[in-house]
Amino acid sequence: MSTFNGADPKQFITDFFTSFTDELLRSDEDAALVVDRYHTPDIVQVADGRRMDRDKLIAHTRPVRKNRPTGRMEVHEAVAHGDQIAARYTMYVQNRKKDLAIEVYFFGKFTSDGRLNQAHMLTRTDSKADPAKQQLVEGQGVSA
Amino acid sequence: MTEGTYSVSGMACGHCADSVTEEIERVTGVTAVSVDVEAGTVTVTSEAELDIADIHAAVEEAGYELAGEPR
Repeated sequence: MSTFNGADPKQFITDFFTSFTDELLRSDEDAALVVDRYHTPDIVQVADGRRMDRDKLIAHTRPVRKNRPTGRMEVHEAVAHGDQIAARYTMYVQNRKKDLAIEVYFFGKFTSDGRLNQAHMLTRTDSKADPAKQQLVEGQGVSA
Repeated sequence: MTEGTYSVSGMACGHCADSVTEEIERVTGVTAVSVDVEAGTVTVTSEAELDIADIHAAVEEAGYELAGEPR
């Protein structure tokens, strides 16, 4: 039986990260409460070999709240099996006046109520600009 | 040449390291900055003794928090 009850894994992963970030940024609610709504207390997240537990995740919400990054997430492909999702997505982020395109290879395990329990991620920062913006610039006839 | 290692909380990835490095490098007298994300530390090399208030301000500007005195 799947944790995701037939939900489209692409949509699930998009909603998970978008909603988590929105909840963090739209209020001053205790960050620990927001983190706990989206993660189990024993969450272990390893990104590029760096391990983050609940405490580190909560500490990381401070710069997110201060810098208030904006952007969007594009999930290229996602596959669900049981309580796990494998996905490849790109986050187009503007943070501290810099445009970043971060490609992420994600393997995550979720609980039946949709909280993240384990995640392994490899990331690759792409120097290319957001294709949506690029098209806009090209459409205006502006060259780099 | 002086070197001090500071604890910084909230760093999780290479982008965190870049942001903290960028702000500390702006502090007058700083010649090198080295971040260890896993350990949550930043080692700052400078020409002379630095005012911790300047490092504190730079880390804050990047969005992070100084969690300990230099060692």
